Amino acid sequence: MDDLGTYAENTWCPGCGNFGILNAFKKAVRRLEGEGVQRQDIAITAGIGCHAKIFDYLNLSGFYSIHGRSMATAQGMKLANSRLKVVAFAGDGDAYGEGMAHMVFAAKRNADITVIVHNNGTYGLTTGQFTPTSVRGFKGPSTPHGSVEDPFNPLAMMLSAGATFVARGYPVKLDHLSDLFARAILHEGFSVVDVLQPCVTFNNTYQKYNESVTELEVIPDSFEDSMAAARRTDRLLIGVLRDVSASSFHREVLGSNVPAESRASAARRREAIAALLG
Amino acid sequence: MKDSERFTFLVGGEAGHGVRTAGTVASDLFGEAGRYVFQMDDYQSLIRGGHNFSVVSSSSSPIFSQYLKADLAVALDARSVDLHREHLSTDGVLVYNSDAVKQDIPGAVGLPLSELAKGYSHAELRLGVGSISVLATATGMARDALADFVARKYQRDAENNVAYALSVYDVAVDKLSGRRQLKKGDAPARTLTGNEAIGLGTYAGGLDMYFAYPMTPASSVLHYLAAHAAEFGITVVHPESEIAVMNMAIGAASVGARTAVGSSGGGVALMEEAMSLAGMSETPILCVLSSRPGPSTGVPTYTAQGDLSFALNQGHGEFPRIVASPGTVEEAYRLAAELMALTWAFQTPAILLTEKHLSESRMTVVLPDALPDGPKPVMDESSAEYGRYADSESGVSPMRFAPSSAVVKWTSYEHDENGITTEDPESISLMHEKRHRKRDSLVEHLRTRVSTNRFGKAGPLIVTYGSTTMSVREALAFAGLEARVVQPVYLEPFPEWDFDDLAGEEAIVVEQSCDAQFATLLRRRTGLRVVASVLQYDGRPFDPEDLAKRLQEVF
Repeated sequence: MDDLGTYAENTWCPGCGNFGILNAFKKAVRRLEGEGVQRQDIAITAGIGCHAKIFDYLNLSGFYSIHGRSMATAQGMKLANSRLKVVAFAGDGDAYGEGMAHMVFAAKRNADITVIVHNNGTYGLTTGQFTPTSVRGFKGPSTPHGSVEDPFNPLAMMLSAGATFVARGYPVKLDHLSDLFARAILHEGFSVVDVLQPCVTFNNTYQKYNESVTELEVIPDSFEDSMAAARRTDRLLIGVLRDVSASSFHREVLGSNVPAESRASAARRREAIAALLG
Repeated sequence: MKDSERFTFLVGGEAGHGVRTAGTVASDLFGEAGRYVFQMDDYQSLIRGGHNFSVVSSSSSPIFSQYLKADLAVALDARSVDLHREHLSTDGVLVYNSDAVKQDIPGAVGLPLSELAKGYSHAELRLGVGSISVLATATGMARDALADFVARKYQRDAENNVAYALSVYDVAVDKLSGRRQLKKGDAPARTLTGNEAIGLGTYAGGLDMYFAYPMTPASSVLHYLAAHAAEFGITVVHPESEIAVMNMAIGAASVGARTAVGSSGGGVALMEEAMSLAGMSETPILCVLSSRPGPSTGVPTYTAQGDLSFALNQGHGEFPRIVASPGTVEEAYRLAAELMALTWAFQTPAILLTEKHLSESRMTVVLPDALPDGPKPVMDESSAEYGRYADSESGVSPMRFAPSSAVVKWTSYEHDENGITTEDPESISLMHEKRHRKRDSLVEHLRTRVSTNRFGKAGPLIVTYGSTTMSVREALAFAGLEARVVQPVYLEPFPEWDFDDLAGEEAIVVEQSCDAQFATLLRRRTGLRVVASVLQYDGRPFDPEDLAKRLQEVF
């Protein structure tokens, strides 16, 4: 019995890139446990879409959020109890569309959460519309003649926003992806792993990615080089594009305080109010 | 010389003249004389220029409203003269800044307030200090006492403030001294604004984290809690949007931090999707909704009760909601604490609905040393087979928080008892019924406590709510009218049981709404016969004198 799984019936399409993400994530959790991380200290959250079903498939605590908001939910969880390692799963519609502001601000404030973006370039669960990362000309039910917008480059955007850990992975390279997840979770500060996820039904990119995905040998050593790596179009580079350390948001705001655990007592509250009111 | 039972001071000027601070300092002056105060700031949505005024009514007995007609009005600019010269009580005195108004005003007292301020830095901002000097002089404060008072109340650059105040005193004393003698009272000196009381109440009720994005007139809850966060041992966060606010707060609550959020109508509208999330996921959350006139941007710095229906119907879908509105600043303190307890005990979102008129008005308060214990959250400590949404008779499922040896899954989807998504018809019905039973449990709880206030024993029946309750009480006191006033504090679940004995009675409904939303609610929820609505929707709170006239017309 897979103790990281649940009784929920898996309803992803056969061949979906999400299976690779799920397996890579479980593998990362087991590795982290081997390195001393308690499983119960890992909390997850997810947006809405095919990606988010992973919440039901993982036997971990957390919050199945709403579309575009898992990054905000995750930041709230982390602020309230920084003992938790909080992972927000998101689709490209969640992270780069509906909830893009949360991504940009989480990066700006270096919120210590990990965002795993299942970036499949389409809204799968709502039957294949174009997303913020769909290629120009993408034909879906809302753009039957092809989208007329150029896609975002999410990694360049995250780098610009100040993300301290930026990576790209590919589920076919499962061990590589799992390693990215584990490193992202261990990174203190904001980490994002953009996963090139083929959608077999609405945007099957396996062949394209198999031909162009290339593992990055070393982490670029300057912001400019990271940005250049993110912007490469001849090859799609996977690996860690940036990993720098900076004080995280909860440390700046809270110091060592853990609001959910070090709650002010009723007596302290009465005294503080009495002192304030004289 | 005349003993004043009630005395109203008004100071008007441009933004940047220190008008609002002067109002608060005037409240303190009255408070130190043992008088009860009610201070209402009328200000515009701008930082410089325009017209602001602060009106402070005081009395040796409790007072629940500002009065439009001033006993002493200090006009710091020409526009204030034009706007307020007609708003004087019978013996009222207008004092104006003769440097801003060149012609003589018959019956009024001109003082060179700007000229005297010249030579000091921030000369314009000192004008407010000048108005305090005028108030002190007119009410017979001694020169030394004034120096001491100004030094305490205007501590930044106190020396120059005192020098300026005394220079104003010296030119004013012959013209104004002893115009009015304030009758001393036995009021406690403590005053609070509604938003300060709400902030303190949430804290007393267990608040650990407050999330908010600025929006008038709710912002001062954010500012107040942020200013006191360290001494309180709480955390205050101002994220990128109200959407982030609500979703972060829900995330924080799901791991055990007691959280609240606050905004005005527009901001709460942005929170609404997540309000429904709190309903489905059964996440405790308190939302402070402080209304201003809408729709849309509306009139940001004024008051209204136009968000009643919006508050009652927050969030799509069916789930229990708690909505309550305080009738005084003291009640705001108690109610905020109580709502924190209720949202945690019943695991469903609560809204503290109020208005700019309560949020930003300042009044004398006596806060209880200790608040009654509210109902406690239901916790699970040790179940081997834990399910976040375990079915129960009360509808309330015991909570655990991550990190926990049990897996705790909160969710926006319809779910089974473990928080796993379901589309099974039986499970869907079961969970709907479980959530619905929480409302029944909540009603049972509310029936055991005071959910409706009543004032007065005889006379016509007036039903009102929120800060308008204060306007009604003051209007009746002003005109010596006898009436029964009924004020439901809880609006959802609506305390229908408190109206059983009034079924069939004729009622006059007073509210600050154009569509008479509260009257509509009463018609739906009670057996009252609403025979008249007294409405005001110009952004201004009722004036007691005017409201008394309007009530007499419909009695």
